[in-house]
Amino acid sequence: MLSAIIGTRIRQRRRELGLTQAELARQVGISAPYLNLIEWNKRRIAGGLLRRVADALGLTLADLDDVSEQKLLQSLNEISLAPAFNEIGIERDRISELIGRFPGWAKTLAAVAKSEQDATARVASLSDRLSNDPFLNETVHRMLTRIASVRSASEILNDYPDVTDDHRDRFNSIIYEETIALSDIGEALSVYLDRSEDTDRSITPIDEVEALFSARENRFEEIEDATRALSELLTETQPLSRRANAEALCEDKLGKFIEEFVNDQSEIETAAARKRAVRMLRNYAIGAVILPMEEFENEAKRQLFDIESLAEKFSAEVETVCHRLTALKSGASIPKFGYICSNAAGSIIEMLGVEGLNVPRYAPACPLWVLYRAQQSPETVIRQRTVFPSGARFVFVARARHVGQIGFGKPRHYVTDMLSIREEEVPLTVYAPDGFVSVEEVGPSCRTCPRFTCDHRVEDPLIE
Amino acid sequence: MSIRVLLAEDEPHIVESLTFLLERAGYQVDVETDGRAALESALDNVPDVLVLDVMLPELDGYEVLRRLRSDDRTKGLPTLMLTAKGQREDRETAMDVGADIFITKPFANAEIVEAINKLTSGQADA
Repeated sequence: MLSAIIGTRIRQRRRELGLTQAELARQVGISAPYLNLIEWNKRRIAGGLLRRVADALGLTLADLDDVSEQKLLQSLNEISLAPAFNEIGIERDRISELIGRFPGWAKTLAAVAKSEQDATARVASLSDRLSNDPFLNETVHRMLTRIASVRSASEILNDYPDVTDDHRDRFNSIIYEETIALSDIGEALSVYLDRSEDTDRSITPIDEVEALFSARENRFEEIEDATRALSELLTETQPLSRRANAEALCEDKLGKFIEEFVNDQSEIETAAARKRAVRMLRNYAIGAVILPMEEFENEAKRQLFDIESLAEKFSAEVETVCHRLTALKSGASIPKFGYICSNAAGSIIEMLGVEGLNVPRYAPACPLWVLYRAQQSPETVIRQRTVFPSGARFVFVARARHVGQIGFGKPRHYVTDMLSIREEEVPLTVYAPDGFVSVEEVGPSCRTCPRFTCDHRVEDPLIE
Repeated sequence: MSIRVLLAEDEPHIVESLTFLLERAGYQVDVETDGRAALESALDNVPDVLVLDVMLPELDGYEVLRRLRSDDRTKGLPTLMLTAKGQREDRETAMDVGADIFITKPFANAEIVEAINKLTSGQADA
């Protein structure tokens, strides 16, 4: 799916070149009114026509379809739906125009909203901590008790000028001892709060790491290069031992390399994001060792991207295969794969390459996604053909797997791996639906979903 | 004979200050520093008024008061509860278990003395 602001960019570029709508329309072989609809983002443009327009404007397809702008559009869209701004009457139909004409202002607005959201989340987490954290509860209790001692003793000294010398000395020394104790408590408290600084910021490390992966289109050539030689050292044939061996190889040969690589990335700012990025890139490297890119790409095409047969072929786990699919360079014979992982509580714990798919960044996703249903039949691949309210169609392929220890009496915990494939690209895969597979109407999240009568709605729609 | 206050409090400095204050106000003060001892002392030799901290070792103040209220000898014992938390649920719990007055730390000395005077008004020569 191309960016919803593509029309705005076409209009802007056409004006820069001093072309009229009629002139450009003639060059690309369409009518001027139709071009007008495209320029106002009221008609979608793709395929050959898009290429002709790009050529006529002297642009590449990438110039017209900027992934970061899609994200910006999605962020601004969510901001415009925030209940707090309900009364303001934001011009929701002109967000694309805002991004196209005033990109700096649009980015600033998104950044300010993001920082406000982070701050609010942080306040909530701090206030939660203040009321529930056992250390803080205990410390506040101790502080108040000390303060009570100091106050009571000093009031006595103030209110009873006739106290004996012994009493005076005693209350003075109580005040002295209690103030020392108080300053110790204060210091411990400040160290504790400082230490929690990093954990508080972990509210958004996902975003930072996502930006890094997004900028690289989920493919890290440096790591592909570094792992090539390691793949040859991998001789085990059983998935578990193969993975364990790949983990050991990566830890041993690439541990430092990955840490340094992450330190060099401008997208990663906080300690929590750094930790997450290192973990995800280690995982990436392990995947690259088990499924070396060239061999994997050829086999994936041959197997029509069947995640289970690829897992079997390479003695790998299905989630490793899913990760590797997102690292493939999409093209004529390779679809663009997105990946989402969610836990049983419905929290999205990982997203890769989901640009174009409307995954809510700050709200729970639509419960109708197969992502959640897959947990009802674990270890089974389920396909879902979906249509979003925007008309975008995706095929989802989901499979739940257990995580953690296994054994009698132990609770089973599942997470779901889900791939997203644009419907127009799905014929390249084994998951291509035939005509009889019904299309399920799904949405992004309740807040931003215009399916007003949906039975599964849990929040009121904010769209008129 | 002066009015007898049982002070159940485990913070030694607060005990010292409150003892000083209450004695200056004319009360006789007995001190216990854990909940179980406070309960036994109150049942053995019922005081005229009880000052009871919530966070006590062995048995917390709520439990002490709950048990005192279920014994005929002490079910009407005037009781002032002290706590360092002061959240609404603490006050509610204190009132549920039968505290007459609830004061949060840090307190003003005068507040404590006034509360005890109020609880003992009508009693002898404080």
